Amino acid sequence: MAGPAASVHEEALLKPLVGFRPKLFLGSLLTGGLVGLLFYAWGFQIVNDIGVAGITRPVFWGFYIVNFVFWIGISHAGTLISAILRVTQAEWRRPVTRCAEAITTFALMIGGLFPLIHLGRPWIFWYMVPIPTDRGIWPNFRSPLMWDIMAITTYLIGSVMYLLLPMIPDFAIIRDRMMRESPKSLKTLFFRVAALGWRGTPQQWFSLEAGIKTMAVVIIPVAVSVHTIVSWDFAMAIQPMWHSTIFGPYFVVGAIYSGVAVLMLAMYLLRRGLHIEQYLNDKVFNNLGLMFLAFAMLWSYFTFAEHLTVWYGNEHSERIVFDARIDGRFSGFFWTMIVVNTVIPFLVLPWRKGRSPLGTAIVGFGVLIGMWIERYLIVVGTLSFPRLTYTEGFYSPTWVEVGILIGSVGLFGFLYFTFIQLAPIVSLWEVREGEHIKNRPAPHGASPALNPAEKEA
Amino acid sequence: MANEYLHAAFRTSAEARVALNRLGQDGVAPEHVEVRSSVPLEHDVHPVGAKLRSKIPWTSLAGAALGGTAFFMMVKLTSEAYPLPTGGQPIVALPPAGVITFEGVAIGAVLMTVATVLIECGLPAFRKKPGPLDHHIALDHVLVSVKQDEGASTAWTAQAIETARG
Amino acid sequence: MTRWGMAIDVDRCTGCGACAVACHAENNIQTVGEVEAAKGRAMHWLRIERYYEGTFPDIKARFMPVLCQQCGHAPCEPVCPVYATYRTPEGLNAMVYARCIGTRYCANNCPYTVRFFNWFTPEFPTPLERQLNPSVSVRPAGVMEKCTFCVQRIQDAQEVAAQEEREVRDGEIRTACSQSCPAQAITFGDLDDASSLVAQLAHSDRASHLLEDLSTEPSVIYLAGGR
Repeated sequence: MAGPAASVHEEALLKPLVGFRPKLFLGSLLTGGLVGLLFYAWGFQIVNDIGVAGITRPVFWGFYIVNFVFWIGISHAGTLISAILRVTQAEWRRPVTRCAEAITTFALMIGGLFPLIHLGRPWIFWYMVPIPTDRGIWPNFRSPLMWDIMAITTYLIGSVMYLLLPMIPDFAIIRDRMMRESPKSLKTLFFRVAALGWRGTPQQWFSLEAGIKTMAVVIIPVAVSVHTIVSWDFAMAIQPMWHSTIFGPYFVVGAIYSGVAVLMLAMYLLRRGLHIEQYLNDKVFNNLGLMFLAFAMLWSYFTFAEHLTVWYGNEHSERIVFDARIDGRFSGFFWTMIVVNTVIPFLVLPWRKGRSPLGTAIVGFGVLIGMWIERYLIVVGTLSFPRLTYTEGFYSPTWVEVGILIGSVGLFGFLYFTFIQLAPIVSLWEVREGEHIKNRPAPHGASPALNPAEKEA
Repeated sequence: MANEYLHAAFRTSAEARVALNRLGQDGVAPEHVEVRSSVPLEHDVHPVGAKLRSKIPWTSLAGAALGGTAFFMMVKLTSEAYPLPTGGQPIVALPPAGVITFEGVAIGAVLMTVATVLIECGLPAFRKKPGPLDHHIALDHVLVSVKQDEGASTAWTAQAIETARG
Repeated sequence: MTRWGMAIDVDRCTGCGACAVACHAENNIQTVGEVEAAKGRAMHWLRIERYYEGTFPDIKARFMPVLCQQCGHAPCEPVCPVYATYRTPEGLNAMVYARCIGTRYCANNCPYTVRFFNWFTPEFPTPLERQLNPSVSVRPAGVMEKCTFCVQRIQDAQEVAAQEEREVRDGEIRTACSQSCPAQAITFGDLDDASSLVAQLAHSDRASHLLEDLSTEPSVIYLAGGR
């Protein structure tokens, strides 16, 4: 019933794609420099042996594993949110799905890099890949690290597919427009290829939507399993304050929490940088802000439950680790984490004004720091205090580890800047579809605005 | 000549529906009518007589079963091929095998779903040439194309905003 | 079936450290240098843990040699993704250097902290390379290592016994540490051979295991409490 939803607003979305945008290109260059730092530090480490990093005995895992868990955690933003919101048919998700799914895909790629960086002999990482060789030996599937490989590979493939499938019709929209405006340009050729020849017939839409619906349903348990399995890298070990049954759900909640934090920050930057306030509007920030608050409460609950049981149980080895967190060596980290992950969100997010774009972005940045600290406390805090107290240790990172961390943030930025210049960061067809659905007449003459969605993507 | 089409662009899906009903009345076969849009349209906006069907989610379930079985057999057979006892656990440890099988179910479902979508949509499909009114789809209009020797009556283009032959 | 085990008499240990030195010499263990040792990267497959009891002037020093316990249910084994460590039929926790890719999960899961990682390529400045034991490999950087119960000596003795068509006798295999202890505090042998000295010591009422409540089923018995 509704007329064309294509409006002046869409120009803001298409601007980064059509032609050359110097500011975005500069962004790609600067973050590309940080990527150079990442690979320089990593190369230095490979050439000069892994001893150039700060990891030691007994803290055999340090920054690299913290970063690994951190990035995999962030990856739970997109796919999980856009999948859950699709399955629950929440209409306000439409402008958010693509930028969230992009975060997931890139965070997963970076997270998957860190186990390689962390290996003592990364050139034989392929020993972990189950391929037949004439050695006859296979990887050990009892190891949680093998579960990690299977889970992260599955989630990465699933996320990439979940990101790319809905992009096909968008590429077709841009293709059809650019074929008329500049049929011979290189970018037009790129969009022609990327659209795969999509025509937008009812049968194609039917199949695509069935596929996206199914993917949304499948990707949710995958996402839950991925961070559960990552948490089991710790929970399967019998180290004090690692061997906890709560780690599975605790890490999943923490992952979604950190994912929403990154999403809020990214959405704020996109909104400001690309001037797409009509799409990433106050309502979207408000709703996501409520989700953010819900996860702040969930995370705080799990953290309290974990620490209460350790304190109350008073088991000797666990109490040593616990005391170091509360008022010992790691107390600075611990209480900072509590402030940025619990106190500030509880002070800011319950009020509508706090759920403004800037408010949620600031809280999100704090939560990012806090969640990184949480992983640091779990990895380094436990490993510093082994059961035989004689071998208590001390970890301090070197420039190699810090450089790789900074470089990984740069890599994320680089991938994202590049993505913005190749694909619309808000899903054009989904937003258009949302407008159509809103303006459709209701079956029995009710006003269009009150009509619930009859058909969902 | 046989591959000439008459394209008509409509501003709204309701107008396209009227045109499609008209074509149906004129007895044009659904295979010779193509509707194209930039968003999924209401369920009744398609060539009269065309059936929209998809093998999803059955193929997804089949893929899931296949993937789960494959991953479980991988764990079982590789553990038995080179049996090395570790930590007192059995050679084929079922809880870890369960984790791996779960991921196999997921990846089988994902890959099969994507493959089904691509096959049912006929993608990639680079052979069909772009038409003269394709830019209307980008503007969120609905494009109806009819193969030229069918539908002699052009009454169905009455509400079109633009028509062209191509 | 042979099941190698060791009994360490803590009451006899004087903390002299001869066992640790002998272990270094026998197994080509690198000396990491002062800077690396300060970071905690020293590689003492067998270390002497020293505990002080009481306060001055009634102070007492207690020494406990700690080495790989060769656990029956080793927590380090299932977590290695590439089978670089597993349990041999003779009860040793094997470490396969060529297979290790350096994930260091095994070291994290060892409750006794007895695994060591080669952070750098070992250096043996001339003429130290002449002291290397030809029966034992030198591990490259990125590889995990730990006490093997001097598996090279076990294999040597088993080969000799096989050639002479007899069983290995109790006391014939001496690990470097048991050989060098002046107080004879370390006894090595077959725990499943009832007549062996180590099996008899295992049944002593002074016998216990380290971190017994973790059910790792270590093959090392500590004898203590008879002073």
